Amino acid sequence: MFGSLFTGFGYWDFGSWLLFFILAGAMTTWLRSQGRQDYKKGTEQDQIYFSGNELPDSEEITVPASSSYWGFRKALKPYYDKLVAFHSGQTVTYVGWFLVTTALLMVLIIL
Amino acid sequence: MANLPFVVVGLLFLMGLIAIIAENNLFKIAIGVGVMESAANMFLVVLGYRLKGDIPVKFLPGPVDVYVLPTPQALTLTAIVIALATSALMLSLIVMLYRHYGTLDVREIRRLRG
Amino acid sequence: MSWSVHLPALMLAVPLFGAFSTPIVALGGRRARMIWSVLISSVLLVLSFCLLQYVATEGTAVYVMGGKAWNLTLPSGMAYPVRIILEVDSFNSFIAVIGCFASLAGVLFGLRFLDRFSGKIWYSALYFLLTAGMLGLILTGDLFNFFVFLEIASVSSFGLIAYWRDRPESIEASFKYMLVSQIAAMMVLLAIGFLYGRYNLLNMAAVGKVIQFGLAEKVALVFMITALAMKCGAFPMHMWMPDAYAEAPASVTVLLVVVSQASLVGLCRIVFSVFGSAIVGDVVPWALITLGMMSMFFGVSMAVVQHEVKRLMGYHSVSQVGYMLMAFGVGLLAMGDPRQMADFGMTSMKGGIFHMVNYVTYKGLLFLVAGALYYVTGTRDLDKMGGLAKRMPFTTFMFVIAAAAISGIPPFNGFVSKLLIYESSFAVHPALSVVALVTSILTLASFVKVFQTAFLGPEKKEFSKVKEVPASMVLGMAVLTVVILGLSLFPTWVVSHLVEPAATALVDKGAYIGAVLGGGI
Repeated sequence: MFGSLFTGFGYWDFGSWLLFFILAGAMTTWLRSQGRQDYKKGTEQDQIYFSGNELPDSEEITVPASSSYWGFRKALKPYYDKLVAFHSGQTVTYVGWFLVTTALLMVLIIL
Repeated sequence: MANLPFVVVGLLFLMGLIAIIAENNLFKIAIGVGVMESAANMFLVVLGYRLKGDIPVKFLPGPVDVYVLPTPQALTLTAIVIALATSALMLSLIVMLYRHYGTLDVREIRRLRG
Repeated sequence: MSWSVHLPALMLAVPLFGAFSTPIVALGGRRARMIWSVLISSVLLVLSFCLLQYVATEGTAVYVMGGKAWNLTLPSGMAYPVRIILEVDSFNSFIAVIGCFASLAGVLFGLRFLDRFSGKIWYSALYFLLTAGMLGLILTGDLFNFFVFLEIASVSSFGLIAYWRDRPESIEASFKYMLVSQIAAMMVLLAIGFLYGRYNLLNMAAVGKVIQFGLAEKVALVFMITALAMKCGAFPMHMWMPDAYAEAPASVTVLLVVVSQASLVGLCRIVFSVFGSAIVGDVVPWALITLGMMSMFFGVSMAVVQHEVKRLMGYHSVSQVGYMLMAFGVGLLAMGDPRQMADFGMTSMKGGIFHMVNYVTYKGLLFLVAGALYYVTGTRDLDKMGGLAKRMPFTTFMFVIAAAAISGIPPFNGFVSKLLIYESSFAVHPALSVVALVTSILTLASFVKVFQTAFLGPEKKEFSKVKEVPASMVLGMAVLTVVILGLSLFPTWVVSHLVEPAATALVDKGAYIGAVLGGGI
C-alpha cells in the first residue's frame, strides 16, 4: 500500500516525500532556533518592520485581499482589462457564447 | 416534402433561440424558452410518425399494417411535464426579480459581474 | 446474490423516498427532520459502498427497471432492450461513492449552518431530490433517462440556489443558470431525438453497438458535448458557475460540484461508451483539449483577482474542470492506436478519473470552509476578514489540507492526479503541460492569498468574540478531510484497485455493450 506509484515516466513514493518533509522541518526548526531571545518586549525592537516608514496610528494593519498581487495585476493590465470586461454579467453573453461554441464545433466537425 | 415537419421544427427552435438572445423583456425571454421546448417536443412527436400509420392501439377494428411508433409519444409526455415545471419556476423567478430590481429589462440585471 | 442485485435501484429509491417523506417526518419537529436527513445520507453511503464492492467482485451490474427479473434485458428473444436499464460498472460506482460522501458532508454541515433561516423542510426535500438526480445521472444506462435525471438535478439546483430569496443576487444567479441550463437541456433532447430517429434505440449500449459516424450522429455529438461541457463549466460557457456557486448556501454548493461531475460522467459515457471508436478523426479530441486548456487558464487568472471567497472558488472550479476535459481529450486522442494507448492514453484516463474524484473532495471541503467563514463572520468579502486562525483551529487546519490538495502539493491526492495528467499531456505536446503547470502555480497563489487574508494576520476588532463553528459543521468538514487523507496516504492502492478498473471499464466499449446485450434468457 505504501509502495511506489510508477507513472510511466517517473514515480511517486510516499516514503521519500515523508523523508523530504522531515528533513525540511528539521532545517526550519534549527533556523528558527538561531533567533535571539534577549530582545526587550514593548520597545522599538518589538515593532513591525514597515520598510523603514513610520507605522500608521491605527491599531490594525492588514493587507486587504484586493491589494494582494497588485503588481501582477498591473503588469498584465491589458490582458486583465479585456478579461474582466468579458465577464460583464449580461445574460445575453452567457447564452451567446454557448451558441457560438456550438456553431464553431459544428462547423469544425462536419467539415 | 416529407421533410416539411422537420423543417418547421428547426424554424421554431431557431425562433425560440433568437427570442432569447434578442429580446430585452424577461417575460419575452421566458416565452422564447417555452417556444424552444415546444419545438423539441414537436420534434419527438414527428419522429414517431410513419406514413399512413394508425394509432398504436393493439385491438383496433379492421386490418392495420402500419402503426405509428408509441415510444416518442411517451418521451414527449415526459418532456412536456418537465417543460411545465421549469416554466413555472422560471416565471416565479421573474416575479421575484421584478420585486428586487424593479425592472424587467434583462440588461439592468447585472449585479454579479467581474 | 439475494438483495445486492437490487442495489442500483435502491441507490435511486432511497434518496427519492427521503425527499418525499421529509415533509411528513418534519411534522415531528426539528430534531426529527435532522435525524431523518442524516439517517438517509448515511444509509445511502453504506449502500454505495456495497454497490462498489458488488461491482468489483461480480463485474458490471445491470438492472432492468420494471422487468420480470432484474436482469432480463432482452425479454422473449428480442434483439434489443426495451426497458430502462441501469448499468453500473467500476467507473460509475466509484464516482457514486464519492458523490454520497459529499452528500453526507453537506447534510451534516447544513444541520446548523441554516439555523437562522426558514424554509428548512423544503431545503431538505430539494436536497435529497438533487442527490437522487445526481445519482441517476451517474448510474443510468439509458439516454432518455439521462435527460430526465439531468432535468431533475437541474430544477432542484435552481430552487436551492435561490434559497436566500431576500438577496437579489441569488435570484439573479438562479435565473441566469436556469436560462443557460434550459437551452442546454433542449439541445440534449434534440441530440437524443436524432439518435433515436436514426436507430430506433434509446439504450446507450444498444446504440453503441450499431452506431456509425454519419451527419446526424455528428450533429448529435456536438450538441451533447457542448451542452454537457456547459453543465461542467467549460470556458466560454462557464460564466454562470461563479455566480451560482457563490450565491448558493455552502452545503448546496457541495452538491452542485458533484452534479457538475455527474454531467462530466455523462459526457464520458456519450463520448467513450456510446460513440467510442466510431469517432473518426482528431477534431473531437482536440476540441476537448482546447476547451480544457482555455478553461484552465482563463478560470484561474480570473480567480487570482477576486476578493469574494466563494466567487474565487467558483472560478477555480472552472479551471479544475479544464484539467479533466484535457485529460479525457488526450485519452480520446490515443484511443484508436493501441501503442499510444499503452504509452500515455491509459495514464491520461486514470489521471482524469482520479482528478474527478479528488476535485469533488477538496472542492467540497473548500466550499464548506467558505461556508464556515460566512457563518462566523457574516460576510463573504475577504477585504473585511482577518486573523481568524487563532479562534478557528479546526477550520484552519482543514483549509490548509484542502488548499494544498487543490494546488497539487505533494503528498496530497491532488498531486498524484495532476502528475498523471502532466506526464500524459506532455507526451502529446509540451505546451499542454506548460499551461497545466502555470495553472497550478496560479491556483497556489490565489489560495495563499485567501489563507493570508482570512486566517493569518492580526485579529480584527469585530471578530474578537468569534468561536469555532458548531460541532456538526466540523463533523461535516471532517468527513471530506478523512476522504482526502485516505486518498493521499494510499495512492498506489487507490490507483490500482479503484482508478484503474474504472479507466479500463470506461475505455472498453465491448464490455459495456456485452453486459447489457449479452444478458437475459
